Amino acid sequence: MSRDKMLVVYMTLGYPDNERYLEFMEEAVKNGADILEIGIPPKYAKYDGPVIRKSYEKVAGKFDLWSFLPETRKVIGETKAVALTYLEDWASELDDFLYKLKGAGLDGVLFPDLLIDFVDDYRAYSSRVREKGLSNVIFTAPSVPDRMIMQVSRQSDLFLYYGVRPTTGIPLPITVSSLVTRVRNLVDNKLVVGFGLSDENDLRKALKAGADGAAIGTAFIQAIDNGGVKQAVDLVIKLRSILDEF
Amino acid sequence: MVVVGVYDTPMVNNAEEILPKYWYNIIPDLPKPLPPPRDPLGAEFSRIDLLRTILPKEVLRQQLTIERYIKIPDEVRERYLAIGRPTPLLRAKRLEEYLGTPAKIYFKYEGATPTGSHKINTALPQAYFAREEGIEHVVTETGAGQWGTATALAATMYGMKSTVFMVKVSYEQKPMRKSIMQLYGGEVYPSPTDLTEFGKKVKKENPNHPGSLGVAMSEAIEYALDHHLKYLVGSVLDVVILHQSVIGQETIAQLDELGEEPDVLIGCVGGGSNFGGFSFPFIGNGRGKKYIAVASAEIPKFSTGEYKYDFPDSAGLLPLVKMITMGNSYVPPPIYAGGLRYHGAAPSLSLLMKEGIVGWREYNENQIFEAAQMFMRTQGIVPAPESSHAIRAVIEEALEAKRANRKEVIVFNLSGHGLLDLPNYDSMMRRVTSNEQR
Repeated sequence: MSRDKMLVVYMTLGYPDNERYLEFMEEAVKNGADILEIGIPPKYAKYDGPVIRKSYEKVAGKFDLWSFLPETRKVIGETKAVALTYLEDWASELDDFLYKLKGAGLDGVLFPDLLIDFVDDYRAYSSRVREKGLSNVIFTAPSVPDRMIMQVSRQSDLFLYYGVRPTTGIPLPITVSSLVTRVRNLVDNKLVVGFGLSDENDLRKALKAGADGAAIGTAFIQAIDNGGVKQAVDLVIKLRSILDEF
Repeated sequence: MVVVGVYDTPMVNNAEEILPKYWYNIIPDLPKPLPPPRDPLGAEFSRIDLLRTILPKEVLRQQLTIERYIKIPDEVRERYLAIGRPTPLLRAKRLEEYLGTPAKIYFKYEGATPTGSHKINTALPQAYFAREEGIEHVVTETGAGQWGTATALAATMYGMKSTVFMVKVSYEQKPMRKSIMQLYGGEVYPSPTDLTEFGKKVKKENPNHPGSLGVAMSEAIEYALDHHLKYLVGSVLDVVILHQSVIGQETIAQLDELGEEPDVLIGCVGGGSNFGGFSFPFIGNGRGKKYIAVASAEIPKFSTGEYKYDFPDSAGLLPLVKMITMGNSYVPPPIYAGGLRYHGAAPSLSLLMKEGIVGWREYNENQIFEAAQMFMRTQGIVPAPESSHAIRAVIEEALEAKRANRKEVIVFNLSGHGLLDLPNYDSMMRRVTSNEQR
């Protein structure tokens, strides 16, 4: 089936434990995830909300990153997988990090702090990601000026990530349609909207305003916490069906 | 050109056209992304989440829904007209003559609002949004008293109660400010108080603490949380500068009517809302060549502050924001211009300064007093001591233009009048005179 709208599914690596993490990833792909985002716990998740921060704390020290990360590829087949982690933690050994990511079977990387703490050098970092054979996924937000959204849209490979709230997982009041409408015409490639879009109304508004897809994270963690992997997979199915309305 | 009193003034006879229909947000036009607010490392609670409890929902929505133009609700626009917006854009012709400068000097006179300053421009919409949500009581802090006055009036206009934590040193220096807030219906306390845990803590550490905006802000937020009230924000946040953009947009329309193109734009900075509201519509639309933010040399945030993540309030109840700051535990000296006694500057303004788009000056009491007096004697208006900082920079620019024989157009925001600051001017006069005699 050809799908017009992309479902990007986030999960913290090894959450809530290694076994259930792998089960969720496998089922997410089977049930409609187009791209997977894998959260590698950072030292300071400064731009994440409380739910994701707690998930990082819960898995910290529970696995060896470079031996566990490749396990994901074994269960997700050909589906694209992108690592989400803070550049701050890896900047000093970036080439080695990117080389290992590639070796672990990842397709790309997303640094949420790239345009915040490394904005003067974002082009150089993006080039290094591409040189290592990985895709760039660039994170933008409403606080990114229009001109820069246009520029980075061209540098972002699989899609452009647009986080509509300043942090994940807190239902801060926003007008999603206005935020998406503002940037839609500035973005040439796929515009994927995230940060608190688990609310169905918000999701529909974003898609109606022209978003090419949605990235969901916190809601899956909460679903796993509340009803285990099954509840999280049910949410994948539900989101897929909403996306397929468009 | 019509001549009224000592001014050459364009009459505001087309108020409806001059008053903008939209607020302007500079964030989409900034040179770089505005760093987002964040929670501190290892935070036991989310300050970002707490904003939902503290602020009226629509105010938070406007803070977060970043669009270049946001429609001003009709009900707010009507109130703007009712309080006398657009405020006049006046030419300081006598000051020009006194200085013998070829430069033309214009000022946007925000002192012409009923509360005497620009603060009412955001108090009205914030109070309106709170009332629309069914809120009956709002709380805030005030430094010099201008913001508290605006809040008290706006709350009353929309049928709500208001509680104001006023920085102790200002409360003592300017009892008339307290009176006007009470006349408008506000409840006023000198901060630090015993009404909050933070106030008690500050008083315990230093029984003679003069108070500061940061401390008063912390008290107001704690009080709002404890009593389930909503907090109105006087400066620093983007949404406040958004509302204040009526100043700059009106000024652009008024200059266009006169056929003037501004070269230099000047304003004073406490938290940055009058400067931002005045200058951002110019900066974002490529109007003007030079922008100067002026602070007090006694609170030298521009020359000694760092650009880093810091709390906007002393207690650390609000999320961290990236700004030029002297540190949230900094206690500003009890100077003559209470509105400038703040440790930081709005994130958007900080970014523009960091990028070199907005320049800065800092002046001391003697320099301010001299400028204020020159302005009073030439133009007749008693400027707020805060606004006199801008006047000092205007005078220096005008004299520089004279030396270089440049016919430039200087426009500044006279953010408030100083008729309730006369005790401050009195004490300044005594100090300055005794300095001169030494």
